[in-house]
Amino acid sequence: MEAIVVENLTKHFRKAYDKTLKGFFISLAKGEKRYKEFTALQDVSFKVKQGESYAIIGKNGAGKSTLFKVLSGIIYPDSGRVEMNGKVAPLIELSAGLSRDLTGAENIRLNCAIFGLSKKRIDEVFDKIVAFSELEEFIHTPVKFYSSGMKARLGFSIAIHIDADIILIDEVLAVGDKDFKKKCYAKMEELRQSGKTLVVVSHSLKPLRKICDRALILDKGKVLDIGEINEMIDKYQEDKKPKKKKKGA
Amino acid sequence: MMLAYLTKYKELMYFLVHKELRIRYRNSLFGFFWTLLEPLGLMVIYTLVFGYLVNLNKGLPEGAYPLYVLSGLIPWTFFNNSVRKGTKALSSNASLIKKVYFPREIFPLTMLISNLVNFIPAFGLIMVMAVVTQQSIQWDQLALLPGIILIQSGFTLGIALLVSVLNVYYRDVEFIVNLLMRAWMYLCPIIYPVKMLFSTDADPIVQQFADLYFLNPMAVIISLYHGIFFPGQGVPAHPTIPGFWVIYTVLVTVILFLGAWYLFRKMNRRVGEVI
Repeated sequence: MEAIVVENLTKHFRKAYDKTLKGFFISLAKGEKRYKEFTALQDVSFKVKQGESYAIIGKNGAGKSTLFKVLSGIIYPDSGRVEMNGKVAPLIELSAGLSRDLTGAENIRLNCAIFGLSKKRIDEVFDKIVAFSELEEFIHTPVKFYSSGMKARLGFSIAIHIDADIILIDEVLAVGDKDFKKKCYAKMEELRQSGKTLVVVSHSLKPLRKICDRALILDKGKVLDIGEINEMIDKYQEDKKPKKKKKGA
Repeated sequence: MMLAYLTKYKELMYFLVHKELRIRYRNSLFGFFWTLLEPLGLMVIYTLVFGYLVNLNKGLPEGAYPLYVLSGLIPWTFFNNSVRKGTKALSSNASLIKKVYFPREIFPLTMLISNLVNFIPAFGLIMVMAVVTQQSIQWDQLALLPGIILIQSGFTLGIALLVSVLNVYYRDVEFIVNLLMRAWMYLCPIIYPVKMLFSTDADPIVQQFADLYFLNPMAVIISLYHGIFFPGQGVPAHPTIPGFWVIYTVLVTVILFLGAWYLFRKMNRRVGEVI
């Protein structure tokens, strides 16, 4: 069964030239387009099977984050089809404004509630989340005093405990210490075994070889290639090397 | 459709309402009592300025001006706060909206509910005031209170949905709303008795436009509240259709709400990128 089906997905962004009223009237009078279109994703198609671990790799500005946001429902595509079969949980950074003043415990409740968990279910998973994050000592401290590693730990713990079928992970694995990373990888493996689908968006390639089955390479908003993870990473690194030299020169 | 949300996300709304109320009265000595102290303070100010200085109390029973002001001001505050806070409901939660998707209608709805929670004890204050100033209470009108609150909530939510999503696109909306709300307040019977507009010694220009006065749904709603305490100051009867203004207000509310809902849905599609 397919967990994610994306077909011919295209997304343009509008870059407004000038958002002031004066600029608006000037461009209106001149009869010119009031915004510049920028294609973030162009004709992207791929499928992720249920229980698969899928990586999306690409350089900065390749459209990874846009794709991630489309998958999590924050941004609507202009055209194309996105089908997510199951409950989606994006791993969220806890530095979000609303939650900064809240304690770790309150953040757990808030995030669980955002994903539609009932009060009863929240009570059930609460201790598990705290235990996994290893933040028992600081759970009643406002999140604004947390280090980035602590935030990542809490965020990851929440995302894996909210009964989602598809978990989207965006770069966050870069933080957290070695032991916690190890624990995350083990947990991700466990989730896969239990039939959950993982999508990892990243440009740190090393850990992907271990966790993912397949990968998609994005380049300037287009799909460059889709295939087995090691193959794709090798290909991506080959592509990348000469370009890097050019940039340096 | 809306009810399905309500049940699925009731835990989230409970959390947000709770947080909103807690933040509002954080670091304040009187805490929740500000809900009551603020309108009481305004009542005193308005009574001194408009009741004694400007003499706007014509046609009201002796000593009833404070109650008149209070019974209009408290419903108005409910509306005013919900709309003003609702305007910023989406834009102030940008960081959350950018990270995770869930029905964004929840934000303006949360503002409405937390203000409703404040409104109910404040309404009790009006009742206390009516007893203190020995005014009669029209029990048959009081029985309609849940209906009045429902109409007002629907109307308020319609406006809040609209301005909250518009404010994401153009932050100017916030400033426009603040100004318009002030003007709107004077278009409602809060500091002056509504009968004043229809009396024969009113300014000719006022008399000419008096018939249009109740096209403002908030004027009808506030008058419905007034009707509970002042039989002569409620919504006036229409010469041909009984209950015309109430029916009109309900219709406007339904149309506004559906329109706002549709527009919110439509504009919501780009909220994730422009916020």
